[in-house]
Amino acid sequence: MNSILFLILRRLRWPLILIIVSFAISVIGLSLMPGLDAEGKPWHMSIFDAFYVISYTATTIGYGEIPYAFSRAQRLWMTFSIYLTVITWFYAIGRIITLLQDPGLRHAMTMERFASSVRALQEPFYLLCSYGESASLLAKALDEKGMRVVVIEAQQERINELELSNTRNVIPSLCADAKLPENLVRGGVHHPLCSGVVTLTDNDEVNLAVAVAVKLMNPDLPVLARAERDDIAANMASFGTDHIINPYTLFGDQLAMRVHAIGTYILHEWLTDTPGDRLPPPEYPPLGRWIVCGYGRFGKSVIQNLERERITATIIEAKPELTGCNTCIIGSGADAKTLLEADIHHAVGIVAGTDNDINNLSIVMTAFELNPKLFVVVRKNKRHNSVLFKQFNADITMQPTDIIAHECLAHMISPLLAQFLTLTRSQSNEWSNKVISQLVEVVGENVPETWAISIDQRNTPAVSELISQGMTVTLENLTRDPVNRDDRLDLVPLLLSRNNQQTLIPALSTPLAEGDRILFCGRPAAKSALPSLINNTKTLTYVIDGIEIPNSLVWRWFRNIIAPRKSIT
Amino acid sequence: MNLEKVVFGFFIVLAMTLNFGFFLGDIDNPSHHHVYELYAAIVVSLIATVLKFGDRTHVGAILLSTSLAADLQLITAAIMWASLTGTMNESDLITYIVSLSGGALMANFVSVILLISETISQRR
Repeated sequence: MNSILFLILRRLRWPLILIIVSFAISVIGLSLMPGLDAEGKPWHMSIFDAFYVISYTATTIGYGEIPYAFSRAQRLWMTFSIYLTVITWFYAIGRIITLLQDPGLRHAMTMERFASSVRALQEPFYLLCSYGESASLLAKALDEKGMRVVVIEAQQERINELELSNTRNVIPSLCADAKLPENLVRGGVHHPLCSGVVTLTDNDEVNLAVAVAVKLMNPDLPVLARAERDDIAANMASFGTDHIINPYTLFGDQLAMRVHAIGTYILHEWLTDTPGDRLPPPEYPPLGRWIVCGYGRFGKSVIQNLERERITATIIEAKPELTGCNTCIIGSGADAKTLLEADIHHAVGIVAGTDNDINNLSIVMTAFELNPKLFVVVRKNKRHNSVLFKQFNADITMQPTDIIAHECLAHMISPLLAQFLTLTRSQSNEWSNKVISQLVEVVGENVPETWAISIDQRNTPAVSELISQGMTVTLENLTRDPVNRDDRLDLVPLLLSRNNQQTLIPALSTPLAEGDRILFCGRPAAKSALPSLINNTKTLTYVIDGIEIPNSLVWRWFRNIIAPRKSIT
Repeated sequence: MNLEKVVFGFFIVLAMTLNFGFFLGDIDNPSHHHVYELYAAIVVSLIATVLKFGDRTHVGAILLSTSLAADLQLITAAIMWASLTGTMNESDLITYIVSLSGGALMANFVSVILLISETISQRR
């Protein structure tokens, strides 16, 4: 803000000097002009009176001739003064207004306002270096979870969209190029509470530049970056980017997960969705021969994963020489001829995975006419086409931006959640279904809150204190309602991490130890009730033993005297 | 030679000399202190203040602050003169006014010393 003030002062030098000089001349002249008072005696205006008269004249307020009617000489001087001071006064006002509307100054002010609102943040926050489709979803979900977000985005329209959207917390946003390190600094890369930087633009180079810049400026800061090209991903990895997200690989992976273990897939979606949302009922993709239209990066990933699930696929591709596909049917897939050539009547499913939404819709509609029993997977590229896709109502509509947002959330909510989700992949589908039914029983069908706690002196003083006193605190104790210990809090411990050993869905009888990290999932009310349990020794003892510890020292001393006697008698 | 520096130095020195001229004389004798001299001192001091705007160096900041101190005292003196004339003993009033302008003189003096020291430390 300092620099802006100096800029204004510097530009106002001339107008201000002009005002001072013109006033000085007019005032002194007016006080020198001979006048007559009410009784007709010679009279000179005092400097103060002259200043008063000139001030109201220059600002065109004009109270008239006071304290006495002016003499001819005074009027003559006033005429001169009016032209001198009024003109300079308006010139100065004009300059000040021009200065305030100056684009350079306004830009400097927006920058400064953004930087100061980021500096003022008192809670941990994430810096999003774009506000595209996936980033906006991510921002919404984080905001719903009560986490703070800061946005830098190069396009003004998207910033406007953000400003108009309804958020719980204020999201500081800046329209600027995130590639420039100074903008990253303004966005809080050096801020002690910055918990990570997320760069999800659809331009790999930009993502790379941001990831590298952040890692150089603040190596400890976690960076989540989107990368579609392998060389860029490798480059990012060499700079220590913590999570590199490739939407195409992720999609193939998820499709495979759906075919292979729908339970695991639902668990994944459920835990990384916006809290309060409901999940649509899942579809089960059939086993058999599939047709995949489009053999780009997306199609390749799909086929790779389908083959892993031992599903054969026929490929339709318009430009086989570009995509390096050997055994494919040439064509766009949007016409019946190519689809018939791919033997659509005997296929069980079709994946329309080109990067053009209209083509994708055209493919699935033609295919659906030829074979209404087909299982249809369609790729949606642009969010604004949602209406069209809703109208068609495919079995699975896959949107890369959604997938990216979910993947980011898994990493951002807590590192434990990402670990949990990785571990669930190696579990059977039955296991996942069991977990889901267990969760639904406790937290209901809406998307629950997911959060992690660490058992240590700083985060859970009450638990640590009781453990150091030799008491056993079990997980079960943490699921009791601090108000009434007979009631249960609506939460489920998902993962217990102890000395790098992870236990999935730990048993409630597990005793806690210093250094444990636990991932919980539950209703928002349970999340807000838990802190009173883990921070307050009195509440925790009540929950464990049902004993209320007296608050005051005197009463405690009194209780200590009484208690032994009781045990004797 | 830089015209900007000439104007700059001129106004700072003039602010001090005018201030000194007003201050000079018996402190309680109104005929030794002319109102126009105070007026000129205020105007020049204001111009000197504006000229110091926008200098981001440390010396620039101190120069600006000395000017602001001088303005404050001179304007206070002028307000006293304008508002208290006729309501109290003339020699008492002029004592207040001159002592205030004496304070402003010190600030202007510091300002000139800074200007000189900066000029001397200038290499080219």
